[in-house]
Amino acid sequence: MENYLYTALFAPLASSLFVALFAARPKMLFTGIVASLLIAVSMICSFVLLVDVNTYGPLHVTMMDWIAAGNLEIPFGFVVDEVSVIMMVTVTLVSTIVHIYSIGYMDHDKSFNRFFSYLSAFVFSMMILVMSDNFVGLFIGWEGVGLCSWLLIGFWYHKHSASWAANEAFIMNRIADLGMLMGLFLIYWNVGSFQYDDVFAAAPELPVGIVVTIGIFLFIGAMGKSAQFPLHTWLADAMEGPTPVSALIHAATMVTAGVYLVIRAGELYSLIPHVGFAIASLGAFVAVFAASMALVNNDLKRIIAYSTLSQLGYMFVAAGLGAYWIALFHLMTHAFFKSLLFLGAGNVMHAMHDELNIKKMGGLYGSMKATAILMSVASVALAGIYPFAGFFSKDKILEVAFNEGAYGLWLALFIGAGLTAFYSFRLVMLVFFGEKEHVKYGIHPHDAQPFVIYALLPLGLLAIVAGFFEPTFEAFVTRLVSEYHIHIPHATEYLLIAATLGIALSGIGFAVYKYKRGGFSKSLEEKACYRLLSNQYYIPKLYERCIMQPFTVLSKFVWQKIDMKVVDFTVDIIAKCIYSSGQEARKIQSGNLSDMLRWMIVGMLVLLAFAIIYSAMM
Amino acid sequence: MEHILSLLVFFPAMAGLLGFLVVKESIRAYGICVSAIEFVLSLILWMGFDTSNPGYQFVEFFPFVPSYGMNYYLGVDGISLFLIILSTFITMIALIGLSIEKEIKNLVITVLFLEMTMVGVFVILDVVWFYAFWELSLIPMLYIIGAWGSANRMYAAIKFFLYTFSGSVLMLVGILYMGYLYHDATGIWSFALPDWYALQVPFDAQLWLFGAFFIGFAIKVPMFPFHTWLPYAHGQAPTIGSVILAAVLLKMGSYGFVRFSLPLFPDASVYFLIPVAIICVIMVIYAAMIAYAQEDMKQVIAYSSISHMGIVILGTFAMNGEGITGSIFLMLSHGIVSGALFMLVGVIYDRRHTKMMKDFGGLASVMPNFATIYGIMLMASVGLPLTVGFVGEFLSLAGFYRINWVMTLLAGTGIILGAVYMLVLYKKSFFGEVVHVENKTLKDLNAKELSALIPLVALVAILGVYPKPILTTIDASVEKMLVLMDQKALQDTTKELLMKANTIGGNH
Amino acid sequence: MIGLTHYLVLTGILFSIGLVGVMRRTNLLMLFFSTEILLNAVNIGFVAVSKFYGDLSGQMFAFFIIAVAASEVAVGLGLLILWYKRNGSVDLNSLQMMRG
Repeated sequence: MENYLYTALFAPLASSLFVALFAARPKMLFTGIVASLLIAVSMICSFVLLVDVNTYGPLHVTMMDWIAAGNLEIPFGFVVDEVSVIMMVTVTLVSTIVHIYSIGYMDHDKSFNRFFSYLSAFVFSMMILVMSDNFVGLFIGWEGVGLCSWLLIGFWYHKHSASWAANEAFIMNRIADLGMLMGLFLIYWNVGSFQYDDVFAAAPELPVGIVVTIGIFLFIGAMGKSAQFPLHTWLADAMEGPTPVSALIHAATMVTAGVYLVIRAGELYSLIPHVGFAIASLGAFVAVFAASMALVNNDLKRIIAYSTLSQLGYMFVAAGLGAYWIALFHLMTHAFFKSLLFLGAGNVMHAMHDELNIKKMGGLYGSMKATAILMSVASVALAGIYPFAGFFSKDKILEVAFNEGAYGLWLALFIGAGLTAFYSFRLVMLVFFGEKEHVKYGIHPHDAQPFVIYALLPLGLLAIVAGFFEPTFEAFVTRLVSEYHIHIPHATEYLLIAATLGIALSGIGFAVYKYKRGGFSKSLEEKACYRLLSNQYYIPKLYERCIMQPFTVLSKFVWQKIDMKVVDFTVDIIAKCIYSSGQEARKIQSGNLSDMLRWMIVGMLVLLAFAIIYSAMM
Repeated sequence: MEHILSLLVFFPAMAGLLGFLVVKESIRAYGICVSAIEFVLSLILWMGFDTSNPGYQFVEFFPFVPSYGMNYYLGVDGISLFLIILSTFITMIALIGLSIEKEIKNLVITVLFLEMTMVGVFVILDVVWFYAFWELSLIPMLYIIGAWGSANRMYAAIKFFLYTFSGSVLMLVGILYMGYLYHDATGIWSFALPDWYALQVPFDAQLWLFGAFFIGFAIKVPMFPFHTWLPYAHGQAPTIGSVILAAVLLKMGSYGFVRFSLPLFPDASVYFLIPVAIICVIMVIYAAMIAYAQEDMKQVIAYSSISHMGIVILGTFAMNGEGITGSIFLMLSHGIVSGALFMLVGVIYDRRHTKMMKDFGGLASVMPNFATIYGIMLMASVGLPLTVGFVGEFLSLAGFYRINWVMTLLAGTGIILGAVYMLVLYKKSFFGEVVHVENKTLKDLNAKELSALIPLVALVAILGVYPKPILTTIDASVEKMLVLMDQKALQDTTKELLMKANTIGGNH
Repeated sequence: MIGLTHYLVLTGILFSIGLVGVMRRTNLLMLFFSTEILLNAVNIGFVAVSKFYGDLSGQMFAFFIIAVAASEVAVGLGLLILWYKRNGSVDLNSLQMMRG
């Protein structure tokens, strides 16, 4: 089985390196095909491992030593257990589809080969992240996906906005990574090892204060990667990248790494439920906060990005409240329908010649039926309508919140569910139905190539049926993570489900009703709260005004005023003093014998004075 | 193998003298050959190095002024071994990438002499000889900056020379005082470092001596606020000068801390630990901010060197195996990465005769290979895992975390700010549209430049993935040094701190 | 009774005169005279102290100084004459070749 493990892990690397050989060349179709095949190999191996883990239990290998200094030893070790194998399957499945999709999507791009190299490198990093058996290995993948995200967001580097967004994403993640690094150091100096097994075994013996600190530090890392408030602004800007990237990295896989970390460190977090509750509260806040921004946005991809943010909030609620398998389940179903939504959006963008404003679309159903159906399926799944995948996972999270007695969280999530349904169908309505706005711009949309559509079908299927795997999934995952029992009476449970379904359906109904009649009036856009939402609560502006600009000014000040005018100036002053004292002193050397004699006598007198003072002192 | 160290020290200088006989056209090839042989010699040294022995190996002893205990005394251990290899390697790479035509014969000979002094500093065990090599290294560098630099070169060269020189004069005072103390305690004169290690210096004297050595090393590193010579030196020096200066000469200072300050004055080192750490934290943040404000690409890298050296010194003062081993590894990795970055700036300077970022933009589409290698080096510089930069930075910070977590957090902001200035540099120079017409026709890397840069890229990856052989070798010697420090420590606080720094668990 | 003090006062006065001469005069010849006065002031001091302590080494030293002074004057005057022949002046201000 080790061979399957290594194949699953290194096939993406092989793909990336192979394709990188042709990175600077013009488009070569085979690079895309080879990359897709290798990722598919990785996927197959992951599925084999899934079956294997199901039958024989976890697999743990140590490939080689990496770092050793002092008491510290970090190996390259990999573990395939119930949690990581689920992640592997999800990641490779979505990756394979995105790779195949990209062959069609990036068809006309001159950097076709480079794209596949980056994309495969991302898959490799993500595999390292989920498969590592220690925290530092996870950190390798953690930073690796950050790098690939940087490369891919800034893929069209000639665009200023793209490279800016790439840098923003990388730097925001770095801020969080510092927190995570601190957590790692704390773990090391208390446990002496980074291995998950050792850490979790030692955690119960550690003082609670330390565990709390570790938990907070690790969660700071998770906040950056999963774009939780206040480090969320990069995710919306990251939509500058090509759409397959948004689907793979900024919806299905990388952004869920934070959730994965909390699930992985579940044994740690279950010792500190109050920190878990804080995480859940933040998650619930982000769920509503992000959904509210999605309500008014007109950018096709940004709406989906905010939706991702909101759904990540749901996952954190589940993970924070200790329902790890539910968080993981929502992570998986979300990966399917969200990447489907994004890839569908990619088709729309292609059809609309990279137009992103949904107000300029409309009525696309006629020309792109397949995409419209797939995106509608994804939207229904996202809204959480029975029997689609989202229903099963999202509803469970609401139940968890209710079960924990966190009615505030439950209410937030409940409202979030309504908002989700509304904005999803606002998008569907504005893009596929209603007036054909795009005709005004002289665009003749057409659907994507057939193989692209076929590639999306598995995702569509999973978005519909994945929910029915819930009992199997629970039984499988809870072999590793702690079980979660819901103690709500059945009647209440059905009531809750009905209420959630009700609000989701009414959200959909409202969106359909409103946008069938041409949407809201223009005057709404003038309202203060609309402006607040469409400006993303002015947070990006705030960051620019309060952090970036002051930092730039301060840096210039430090350089020009402090470094040049104080530090360097002092050095130069000392040098100048010495130099000018030399200049002055050389006048003594006038060459005139009388002067010299006079100086000699002065010197003699000084020495005499010294001698007298000295003897007097003695 | 008996005299390999002497051979390593004096071979480049002898070859340099012979170089005067070589015709101008072939001097570059001659220089590359000599430095390659020297590099191979250093590799042979590594082959013959017994990694299980943490003490000095290949020791050579030859009486020089025996009555005053000043002898020709060479030896190498895990701490210095890789710095020697780094010196010979970087010299070779720098000569391969050499693109200067003017007075090339003198330049190559100067570089070979510089190599002698660099290797000399790292292998010598006699402190007076150490001082001699230390000072001698200034002269070739002065010459390189002063003769082949850009417009303001005289100012930069003299500033470099006088600043570092005045620092090391204070160190000389310290050396003489230490020799006197040794004579006082034992009745015989000795300037051999292993002898000095055995001496327990009284606490008050330690404080003064630590200060004297500190000034000498701090200026060389350079530590805030003694750093201002560095931007000028880098700004004016030719590419080869910057490469060697950043990659090797700065490491002499940080090597001095490991070799002298810690084992000779353990109590003073612990006593001054927090002030030094504060300076390091200031260095990291302050230099990173200044780097962000720069408009000149080379200055960004120059200031980033200061920022990274802050983490090196912080790791050194972590007083544990993780930190010190990490800081020595970070010296190596910084040598490789900053050397490569300066070389890359040199590549673009050769083509455009400007280093201003506003004159570039969109280079990624014109020079893809250049952009790729630059990107790799940049990522190594910001400490991405699986590149060489991560290992040292991680270990240094991890080590210091045990001493003080707040300062580690503050120094850790260096990894954020490092990403900020480096990515902004990359964005300004490589991304965007090609706005300047001159940039549209730039040639990508040529064979010569590739042959200099590819080994560096390979090292970045190899040492990032498998640093263990180097780490364990360094670690053995570091652990030995830590034991020595513990034995010598006079004060209980020192012993407690060393104890705490080197154990896992317990309260904070 | 003339005691040691008187001799030492005389020495001091003579030495001061010589010192002022050395400082103020610009004529090289006068400078020589002043140095002679300085030396002889010291000689008187030596002899007086030697007599006072009954130790002959002071007087011996005075003889040495006389001998050295004589030879110095011989060499010095020779140089002076040479200088005069070349420059037509023995003024100190004409002698500034060592100006820094």
